[in-house]
Amino acid sequence: MSIDGQPVNGHEEPAETRPVSSARSLPASALHRAVVVGGNRIPFARTGGAYTKSSNQDMLTAALDGLIARFGLQDERIGEVAAGAVLKHSRDFNLTREAVLGSALSAETPAYDLQQACATGLETVLGLANKIRLGQIESAIAGGVDSASDAPIAVSEGLREVLLDLSRAKTLPQRLQILARLRPKDLAPDAPNTGEPRTGLSMGEHQAVTTAQWKITREAQDELAYNSHRNLAAAYDAGFFDDLLTPYRGLSRDSNLRPDTTLEKLASLKPVFGRSLGAEATMTAGNSTPLTDGASTVLLASEEWADQHDLPKLATVLDGEAAAVDFVHGKDGLLMAPAFAVPRLLARNGLTLDDIDYFEIHEAFAGTVLSTLAAWEDEEFGRTRLGLDGAFGKVDRSRLNVHGSSLAAGHPFAATGGRIVASLAKLLHGKGTVNGRPALGLISVCAAGGQGVVALLEAQ
Amino acid sequence: MSPGQPIILGEMPSLSKLYVNAAAGAARRRLLGSHPAAALPATGHEVRGVRADVGQLTAYQHLVGETASDVLPAGFLHAMAFPVAMSIMNRDDFPLPLLGMIHLRNAVEQFRPVRFTEALDVSARAEALRAHRAGTQLDIVAEIRTSGDDSIRWRGVSTYLAKGAYLPGIDKASGGTPTQQFTAPDPTAIWQLGVDAGRAYAAVSGDFNPIHLSVLSARALGLRRSIAHGMYLASRALADVGAAKGDSFRWDVAFEAPVFLPARVALDISTVQAEGAGWVRSDYVAWNARSGRKHFSGSVASL
Repeated sequence: MSIDGQPVNGHEEPAETRPVSSARSLPASALHRAVVVGGNRIPFARTGGAYTKSSNQDMLTAALDGLIARFGLQDERIGEVAAGAVLKHSRDFNLTREAVLGSALSAETPAYDLQQACATGLETVLGLANKIRLGQIESAIAGGVDSASDAPIAVSEGLREVLLDLSRAKTLPQRLQILARLRPKDLAPDAPNTGEPRTGLSMGEHQAVTTAQWKITREAQDELAYNSHRNLAAAYDAGFFDDLLTPYRGLSRDSNLRPDTTLEKLASLKPVFGRSLGAEATMTAGNSTPLTDGASTVLLASEEWADQHDLPKLATVLDGEAAAVDFVHGKDGLLMAPAFAVPRLLARNGLTLDDIDYFEIHEAFAGTVLSTLAAWEDEEFGRTRLGLDGAFGKVDRSRLNVHGSSLAAGHPFAATGGRIVASLAKLLHGKGTVNGRPALGLISVCAAGGQGVVALLEAQ
Repeated sequence: MSPGQPIILGEMPSLSKLYVNAAAGAARRRLLGSHPAAALPATGHEVRGVRADVGQLTAYQHLVGETASDVLPAGFLHAMAFPVAMSIMNRDDFPLPLLGMIHLRNAVEQFRPVRFTEALDVSARAEALRAHRAGTQLDIVAEIRTSGDDSIRWRGVSTYLAKGAYLPGIDKASGGTPTQQFTAPDPTAIWQLGVDAGRAYAAVSGDFNPIHLSVLSARALGLRRSIAHGMYLASRALADVGAAKGDSFRWDVAFEAPVFLPARVALDISTVQAEGAGWVRSDYVAWNARSGRKHFSGSVASL
């Protein structure tokens, strides 16, 4: 079976053939293990709530400081810190390094920013884990932060051009001439939105098309949202997040969490996306993630470093895979890239869906998760799009997002990856072994631009 | 002097009322002649159950360059205690005129971090009335505890000078300290302070002393332009020292030439590390980037 790359179809490039063994150019014995030591995040807050006045740097530093306190990293020179934000002001070009400088880490800790839309957080984990695996660094902190409340607002293109020309003008008449070009509409600010630049459709509108294509019902979406709230609330009540979270600005739980929500309540909400489609509109504020503010961090290390510092080893970062789909003209849904990335990742590691003990599929929308599951269960999708003999497989729903996910916790874009990695690592560590082998966890995160990043973690 | 039992105030005194009252007091003194008392009020003032306003905290943190964490910066605690301190200096039996008082030095001991969610008891008293070569100086000692806990979390000693005020029974200080020649080192930072720097700090600290607000209000009090708040400058230096200072530290500042706004202030922060150990102390000194005149200096040291 050919599962590497997307299948040959029309004028596309032939599928990349990448034999399993050559995916690693180094002999496996030369690679180190990259382990998740632990994580820390601040509770996620609905936009306009407790973190309204907190900047990305404030929140990332708060999450980082909690991590430093938890693992005794004061004055420690960490190999590298990588984090990012999706909604980022241009003055925050060195956001992560600035957060490091404002933290109790050694000022000699290098840092870089990364941005891959909602996959930012997971990609920082994979990139840093790979550096650890190669022996380039011994320790790393991955993270992400986003504020929809404190979002950067740009001036209009018209005003921007006038301001730039003004700064170059030399004489008063020149300046007046340039100023005369200003029109009232130029004074309207340009706020960021979740629209795709090439289609003009918001992410929700894109997903509504996909949700309808895969015939995902309103009831199924509401049920997934209900489970997310119920599972997250139960995890909080069980103290699962006690060592994964530090309170910030008066919050000690995610403010979007509705422990007492009911299917009836969710069913009563009016659809907000897909109302102009032919099909019935099924996506509501309840089964879509709200705009959220928050930050998360994950401490990664080589096994030796973790042992030397007497720190826990929760899980190994085994492997990761990125994918992208051609969504612009509707060949695939905007958020369907993980449907391709996961089969490639599992094939490379000689695994199937049945081998996975915990699935963490980011709930951008309930419809995203359910469309992905539907695609994997679809014979034709498996044959024509994944190049398999039939359907890719079925996810055991009792293993899916067992401690809740983004529908309940909220989704501060770049912070979601770190939230999931830390929670899954703890979950895997708690599970230990299954049938004599370490428990396995799969993470799948979709992202704007038709991208997706997925990762495989193994219990330590 | 034994502080005795403090007077418990029902609520945080309003700084704007205190300033108005101080101005009225100054006018009264001018009309009726000077105040005869030569002793500080024996009682202190205390306000209980004070909570920081989180919005004001965030604005303060952003203004002075701190990250918006849940821990109240030592300078923010100074600002929280300031109305209580002012209410002491505003008492009828306080022997010196409040308006025109010059902040000479400030010494803070932060024993344990204070979070914004905690209810605080804030007290202040006046101590150590003594001579200065240019007038009379005294200390205002402010202390902050968490409500229901006797241990002091934060203590600030602010030394003020009433210039040209001499009290009976306090001898004029002779000679005074010789001013040391200051040679500016290479700066580690340059601060560009706009003409509105005083107003901006007033908004986050509540200290609307007219000498900081505008050229006109400063001129009314005899200054040629408005000046930056000393505690704003010191708080920025503290923020610049950063997380190295840890949870408990001592923070000192001595003010010299005022910073007239707008200004370019040059700053040098040097770190003292112990052999093999970590951070011990950061010393800072700031001066006028153009004239080289020293504005203030101080240090942050582990307690």
